[in-house]
Parts: sequence; C-alpha cells; structure tokens
Amino acid sequence: MNASLLQLEKVTIRFGGLTAVCELDLQIGAHELVGLIGPNGAGKTTAFNLITGVYQPTGGTIFFQGQPTANLKPHQLTRRGIARTFQNIRLFASMSVFDNVRAAVQLHRPHGIRDALWRGRGFRDGEKAVETQVMELLEIFKLGRFRAANARSLPYGEQRRLEIVRALATQPKLLLLDEPAAGMNPTEKLELTRLIRFIKDKFQIAVLLVEHDMQVVMGICERVAVLDYGVKIAEGTPAELRANPKVIEAYLGAEAR
Amino acid sequence: MNSGAKRWLLVAVAAAMAVSYFSAQFNRYYLGIAIDIGINIILAVSLNLINGHTGQFSLGHAGFMAVGGYTAAKFTLELQTISPPWAQPLLFLVALLLGGLLAAVAGLAVGVPTLRLRGDYLAIVTLGFGEIIRVFFQTTEAFGAATGLTGIPHWTTFAWAWSFAALTVFVVGCLVSSTYGRGFIAVHDDEVAAGAMGINPVRYKVTAFVIGAFFAGIAGGLYAHHKQFLSPGGFDFMKSIDIVVMVILGGMGRTAGVIVAAVLLTLLPEVLRGFADSRMIIYSLLIIVLMIARPQGLFTFGRKAAGKA
Ligand SMILES: Nc1ncnc2c1ncn2[C@@H]1O[C@H](COP(=O)(O)OP(=O)(O)OP(=O)(O)O)[C@@H](O)[C@H]1O
Ligand SMILES: [Mg+2]
Repeated sequence: MNASLLQLEKVTIRFGGLTAVCELDLQIGAHELVGLIGPNGAGKTTAFNLITGVYQPTGGTIFFQGQPTANLKPHQLTRRGIARTFQNIRLFASMSVFDNVRAAVQLHRPHGIRDALWRGRGFRDGEKAVETQVMELLEIFKLGRFRAANARSLPYGEQRRLEIVRALATQPKLLLLDEPAAGMNPTEKLELTRLIRFIKDKFQIAVLLVEHDMQVVMGICERVAVLDYGVKIAEGTPAELRANPKVIEAYLGAEAR
Repeated sequence: MNSGAKRWLLVAVAAAMAVSYFSAQFNRYYLGIAIDIGINIILAVSLNLINGHTGQFSLGHAGFMAVGGYTAAKFTLELQTISPPWAQPLLFLVALLLGGLLAAVAGLAVGVPTLRLRGDYLAIVTLGFGEIIRVFFQTTEAFGAATGLTGIPHWTTFAWAWSFAALTVFVVGCLVSSTYGRGFIAVHDDEVAAGAMGINPVRYKVTAFVIGAFFAGIAGGLYAHHKQFLSPGGFDFMKSIDIVVMVILGGMGRTAGVIVAAVLLTLLPEVLRGFADSRMIIYSLLIIVLMIARPQGLFTFGRKAAGKA
C-alpha cells in the first residue's frame, strides 16, 4: 500500500433505485486537509456514513491505514482512528459538557465494568487522569467554563465546537467534519477556520471537511473533491477548481448566480 | 469520593443487619412490608439500569424474577433437609446467587438476539419472554405446575432483603457514575453518536440487560423465601408493569427517585387495603393521574452533571 491514510476505491452505495454514491475514488494522506463539496443531496454525508461504517458499500472497497474496513462497525472504526461530527448536531442530550467528552474518552481506557465496581487504586487514578484530560481539551477549545452546563443548553456555535472536541477525545487519526460552519455567523466562521487549521497542526491528524461555505473550504483545504449526484466530477486545489467549468456549472455557478 | 461508595455499602449492610437483629420486636405485618419494600427496590433499581439509564424498554422483569425465584426455591427445597442447620445462611446465599445467575443467563439468551431491535420491538419480545417463562413454570411438574411451590423456608429477613437492595443500588450507582458507565447513558441519549465515539451500543445494552436480570433473579429468590410459596400467576405481565411504573414514576435513570417510587408504590396498595374491592381501581387511577401530572417522574433530583461526582 502507499502512504495514504484513507483510500476509497470505486465505492458505491445504492438505496433502492437511488445511487447515492457512485464509484467514488478518494485518497487522504496522513496530515492532509481535504474538502468534500457538492450541492444538496450530492452524497457527502452518505460518504461519511460509508467511511465510518454506518453503511456498508454495495460496491468497492475502503481502506484505512491499508486495511479494508468492510464489516467493521462504527465503534470499531472509531477505535482504529476515525472520528466524526454530525451534520445535525448529535450531542448526548442528558449529559453535561464535561460528560459528553468523558464518554468519548472511555474507548482508550483499560478500566471496564470490574474496576468501576471495585474502585481500586488504579481505577481512581485512571478516573483522575480522565478528568485532567477532559478539562485540558475543554480549556484548549475555550469550553472550560461551560463544563457543568447541559450540552444542549450551549449556544449553537459552542455546540458545534463541543462536537469537535468530543470527536477529538477519541484520539483520531482522521477527523470527519460534516458542515461544521452551518448556522454560524461570519465571525464564528472565521474562528472555525482557524480552529480547524489549529487542530490539524496541534493533533497532527488528517481532516476531511464537508462544507457548503466556499470561503471556509477554499480558504483552508489543500485539496478539494467535488461530488454531484454521487459522482466525483472534479478534484484539485482550490485554485484549479475555481477554473474548472464542470465545477462552476454544478456548484460554484449556482452561488455566483 | 470513590472509596466512599464502598464504605456506604458496608454501612448500609451493617445497618440492615442491626435493624434485622431487633426485628423480633416489630409487628410482623410491618416487617413483612419492609421486606417487600427492600425486594421492590432491588427490582426497580435494576430495571432502571435497563429502561432508565440505557434507554431500553424491557417488559420482562417479572420473567427474570420468576427464573431466580423458582431456581432458588427449588434449590433450598432439595437441599435443606440434607444440609446441617448451621449451613443455612450459606445455603441461602448460594440459592440466591444461583437464581441470579440463571436469570442473568436467561437475560443473555433473550438479550443477544433482541437488543439489536428498536425499543418497541424489544418491549414485545421481552413481554413474550415473560409469558413463556410463566407458562413454562405453570406446566412443569418439577416446579409444582399450576399449584406452584410450597413449603419454602422463611429465610428472607430484613437484613437479607435490604443488604441486597443496598448492593443493587451500589452496583448500579457505581457503574453509571464511572467513565465506563457514561457508555450506558450515551447509548440512551443517541446510539449513533455513541457508536461514533467508540462505544459499542449492543455490548452496553446486553451488559445492562444481564446485570438487570441478575438482580431481578436475586429479588425473585428473596421473594420466594419471604412469601414461602410461589405460583406462576405471581409473575405475570402485571408484575412487570408494576416495576416499570416504579421506574417511570421515579424518573427514568434517577436512582434516588426510583427508590422513593418503589417505597411509595409498595405502601400504596397496603394503605388502600381498607377500600377492599375498589383498591386496584384507585391504585390504577392514582398512577394515571401521577403520570399525567408529572410525566418526567415524581422526583426530579438532578443527575450529577459536573465532572466531580
Ligand atoms: N438511508 C438512506 N436511505 C435512502 N436514501 C438515502 C439514505 N441516506 C441518504 N439517502 C439519499 O442519498 C442522497 C445523498 O444524501 P446525502 O445526505 O449524502 O447528501 P448530502 O450531500 O450530505 O446533502 P446535504 O448537503 O443536504 O447534506 C440523497 O438523495 C438522500 O435522500
Ligand atoms: Mg449532508
């Protein structure tokens, strides 16, 4: 295998008569920031669901770190290093901000049910370490002051940020962001752009970004793939895409009009 | 904070034993009700792990209780004559654990294939399971068939019932309050998001189901050695509903509330005893009124939100 972290080979999924994603080829390197764009219903979220194991492809293969991911469940893929956020925020509604992140830390901990009951020394130290780890993450992303608040009571932008923090708590190698800028005002968007760059550098991970806001995508992505009706119609640097007539027609044109 | 939980358990068990020591001086009727309460706390708190914290909808708790009750009763009935009197507490403990274990196995057998199902399907399957269990005991000669089992020794004291109630509260509380236990609540809140956070929803659901069934089995054994006789009719669908009502009324996933609800709903039928025939009607009406008035549960003690528990 080559050095790519994630590789999609002719990945297809059909829902009844609808081909939501069609023979998609896509590669992401270990520290790359790649964009995935396309009009509504183009299959972007479906591509995420395929990569994270929510759906199994009807055709083609997905490799993560050189291993095929067929038949792996979402939680197993997260364990291997794929984390994601959701287009419609899916925080744990009955938990605090702190506990949302804490729940995500569980997967790398050796402590299971027996320790939770016996509560020996190792367990207590472990729980303390988790607390520190969660607080650190929250502080980095300026959510520390909300730690005790219910997750769903946060302002919208903060909820999106918390979802990113929660995904990072699983210690991913690849982070999938599904429209993180949706519903944000221009200032928040600018901040988000900085945040994504910061995450990529600080945590040394790859990011695949689905986003409708062209400024965000073109501003930070090194490479962008364009989907239309499930088919990849173009791929290249932001500059290349701006000059591509197919892309302009399918997507950018709609905005320019 | 963590070792505090263990200390709490020891104190609770010691207190139960101390009260039990003086139990001869209590009115037998009240003592009986106190033991009922202990058993119902076990049932409600363990079902709360499944239905409340983990967000399943099981209607099979009476079934698991029956498995535990019949197993424990059969075990003591077979062995009490050949075991020396001094071994009685040990025999009882083994009987209870055996009942819990078999109930847990039943929980595993029902849970593994069905917990992939969505909420309402699970409710139907567990309901069916409860009925199958009941019919099984009703038709099996070795378990007394329709007459049930009689002559079970009266071994369930206040100490036994309330020690196991304390143990149930301890186990459920410790599980749910740990980082590991966030998984149960995560599954309750959003299965898809839980999966994306590396939490295996099926595994957590089965775990909750098996632990819940285990304690229901223990409660069954305590019940058998408290009432001294078992009949299949005692474990029908209504029994499961009674426990579900305790959990809902207590506020799904809130242990303290569920305990209070278990106490109140055990006392309520006793208080209403004077109304004879209309007792069940009043009981049902009261529950309907409570459900309408406080759908979020009677007691909304906040779940500890912050990191410091
Ligand atoms: N589980 C499903 N069953 C049937 N059809 C589905 C399913 N999931 C997605 N689709 C369909 O697949 C197509 C692609 O949907 P998808 O959500 O991936 O689009 P998207 O690119 O994320 O769009 P948006 O920008 O609106 O989020 C749509 O036509 C959608 O209706
Ligand atoms: Mg989408």
